[in-house]
Amino acid sequence: MRRRRTIGLAAFGAAAALLLAACGGSSGSGSGSSSSSGSSTYGAAITSVVNPSTHKGGTLTFGNSSTPDSTDPGNTYYDYMWNFTRLYTMPLMTYKSCPGSCGLQVVPDLATGPGVVSDNGLTWTYHIQPNVKFEDGTTVTSEDVKYAVERTFDRSLFPLGPGYFPLLLAPQKPAYPGPYTDRAKNLMGLNAVQTPNPTTIVFHLAAPFADFNYVAAIPQTAPVPPAKDTGANYQLHPISTGPYKFQSYQLNKQLTLVPNTFWNPATDPNAKQLVSKVVMTMNMNANDIDNRLLAGDLDVDATGTGVQAAARAKILSSSSLKASSDDPIAGFTWFAALNTTVPPLNNLNCRMAIEYAANKTNYQTAYGGPVAGGAIATTLAPPNVVGQKAFDLYDALSKPNGDDAKAKAALKACGQPNGFTVGITYRSDRPKETAAAQALQASLAQVGIKASLHGFPTGTYDSNFAGVPKYESQHDLGISFYGWAADWPDGYGFFYYLVDGKAISPAGNTNLSMLNDPKVNSLLDQMASTNNATTRNSFTSQIDMQVMKDAAVLPGVYAKSLLYRSPNLTNVNVQDYYGMYNYAVLGVK
Amino acid sequence: MITFIVRRLFATVFLLVVVSAITFAIFFLIPRLAGQNSYQLATEYVGRNPTRAAVLQVEAKLGLNAPVYLQYGRFLKAIVFGAHYNAGTSITYCPPPCFGYSFKNQQPVWPQMISDVPVTLSICIGAGVLWLVGGVAVGVLSALRRGTFFDRLSMGVALVGVSLPVFFTGLISLELFSYKWSIFPNVTYVGITSNPLLWARNLVLPWIVTAFLYAALYARLTRAGMLETMSEDYIRTARAKGLPERTVIVKHGLRAALTPIVTIFGMDLGLLLGGAILTEVTFSMHGLGEFTYLAIQNQDLPEILGVTMLAAFFIVIANLAVDVLYAVVDPRVRY
Repeated sequence: MRRRRTIGLAAFGAAAALLLAACGGSSGSGSGSSSSSGSSTYGAAITSVVNPSTHKGGTLTFGNSSTPDSTDPGNTYYDYMWNFTRLYTMPLMTYKSCPGSCGLQVVPDLATGPGVVSDNGLTWTYHIQPNVKFEDGTTVTSEDVKYAVERTFDRSLFPLGPGYFPLLLAPQKPAYPGPYTDRAKNLMGLNAVQTPNPTTIVFHLAAPFADFNYVAAIPQTAPVPPAKDTGANYQLHPISTGPYKFQSYQLNKQLTLVPNTFWNPATDPNAKQLVSKVVMTMNMNANDIDNRLLAGDLDVDATGTGVQAAARAKILSSSSLKASSDDPIAGFTWFAALNTTVPPLNNLNCRMAIEYAANKTNYQTAYGGPVAGGAIATTLAPPNVVGQKAFDLYDALSKPNGDDAKAKAALKACGQPNGFTVGITYRSDRPKETAAAQALQASLAQVGIKASLHGFPTGTYDSNFAGVPKYESQHDLGISFYGWAADWPDGYGFFYYLVDGKAISPAGNTNLSMLNDPKVNSLLDQMASTNNATTRNSFTSQIDMQVMKDAAVLPGVYAKSLLYRSPNLTNVNVQDYYGMYNYAVLGVK
Repeated sequence: MITFIVRRLFATVFLLVVVSAITFAIFFLIPRLAGQNSYQLATEYVGRNPTRAAVLQVEAKLGLNAPVYLQYGRFLKAIVFGAHYNAGTSITYCPPPCFGYSFKNQQPVWPQMISDVPVTLSICIGAGVLWLVGGVAVGVLSALRRGTFFDRLSMGVALVGVSLPVFFTGLISLELFSYKWSIFPNVTYVGITSNPLLWARNLVLPWIVTAFLYAALYARLTRAGMLETMSEDYIRTARAKGLPERTVIVKHGLRAALTPIVTIFGMDLGLLLGGAILTEVTFSMHGLGEFTYLAIQNQDLPEILGVTMLAAFFIVIANLAVDVLYAVVDPRVRY
């Protein structure tokens, strides 16, 4: 799952910021009319490119309310960093730069085409473009890509990125330790990846995996020249293959990129090199970022999670500001996992009672309402997952305030007609999640379910509490609040770590429902080995349906975020895959 | 006097060791006593869905699988002798006082922390001068004009100043003077050596906002001290001797009233140097306060430990300075 940084810095001043919203007032009176032709209207960048331009020059400024997990493409899992790294890397595959669902398409980047599958789905071969160069002018070879993949095996140095390669590639004995302790010649000892010539790279998998092109689109396949690798310090200056390169980086403070003179636009059609400098300032106050955006002192909020409450009030009350904003589906579903192993939730009817009793409107309000929070969710997968189909098993849309009669009937069926007690876990440093937990507690009380609240810090939520099955069962914690976005936009990328029984782990577990339904597991296995895209994507709704039939999750909202589109920006469009603006093509006026 | 200072310096070192032991125990020992094992601790730094092998790799890399006393010993050793860290392709040397290796950033803590000190120093010293001068001046004038409109107004403003948190006044000042009227646009820290004028311009708002809070407190303290002092018998004697009123006020009244103010100033400045968190976060300045905030947010124990030690150092040194000043003023303290 790609991770989103939650905005914590603003917490201090929330009340003050809301007061300030009143000071802002309206600053204009735009037309507010809708259009799909790229004009500057509310939501225009979701379906079209706003301010298309080839103008060169200027400085593109990003404000970041937090810090990247890492700027090393091999060690990052934040979705906005996967977006941002496209400015200085070229992984084997990437997402097509275009608005709407077109932006969900995985297309070749460093590779000349999608992977060629052979050996019954066990072998994936990519040919890379022969004339792509690093920032120092040396030509990229397949060995550089292999080395980049090898680095991800050293989890002591690069613990933060996804661990798909060690999971998917054919194992070797002894286990490959990563290049820094590898004793093989040229440090190229990962047998599962072969480089028969400088432009060919072959991946041998442990089992067929039809989504491998998506894995190849993770920044971890961006080439790293072994001679220029500096290990843990590589984050301070990754060697660029993208349109920009690092000029300076003060760790967690400010990053400056300048054009990479060896970048060739013909080899990288999904990125542009328009500005003469890109500056990302980190650790800024979230409200300060919003105000600077509105004042024109800043171009982009890097995290792409949307403006804060104060700016939201300003934007929505001003037609001109609203015309310069978008509220795309962020790709996240906020939900509550119902633990299928903690009594009495090990009984399907008890879980169904929660599904019916929950007040979905209050849940949505807790997350910020329909504009900034999101739409009421009826499925686990959000709409931007390819193959997702809408259905509503528990009347979330027809009875958004809950259906007490059906809830009580379900309670009777589960042998708990007077209700039961259950613990709810949530991340106490997230105000929206806290409010949602309180709202759920109140609505469950209406049908006699006594829920106790157990808040934990985000930093230890997975490692020590909700993500530790033993802890959950010992403390009768049956409901856990969570959020999820797909690592890649198909059903497998979304569901595997959430609902596959094989993904359950003793700590850091993300299958918080502890769902181990053979039907779900089997559908996921079939999906992983089906190469035909249409057939593969048909599994998405089947899995979603089975998970909901199991009542393993209580869907909350399909997250939306209100993004402010600075009028200074050119070539602005929301990339559906990231659920935020496409950073690879931005320019300034 | 030298003996006194040496004695206090030894006490300072001892105090810092005690602080380090307590802080280390809070973060590394107490969680273990509460049932958390080193594997779980390592899980916090591995990212999502870690395999067991990955967690074990991180556990070993961060040295979490060693006994706590050994980890503490390594921590102290690194402060005194420095430490070496494996960066993969090379060994990174962290010179003393090395406060460990960040679990999140994979970088030694000390260089990151020390690079933030100029920002915090700039805010604190500028604000310190403002609040001391402003607060004392207003306090003296209020005391001398007790019961007048000025007294009531200034004490009213002081009450407001004490009541308003920095993040409130900071956001208001940014909204008005930065975003709306652009008198101080793009408030961000610029090094004093790279552009002194811009450095000062961008610090005006943080200085005023921070100083407003403290000046209010100092004005009230000074006023109370002055009122008490000015009613002393020796002030009456001084006046009876025919001394000019200015001499009576400044030399006899203010000097006596200032003694507790200086003590508090030392403490406040020391505390603030440990991290002006609210000011730095509000104005998006990368100082020790923001470093602390981020360290806590990331649960980066070595960083939290490092910044706690540095803050303790500043407070202890400020105390030492106050004690030395006291010793100068009052020789009885030396014995």
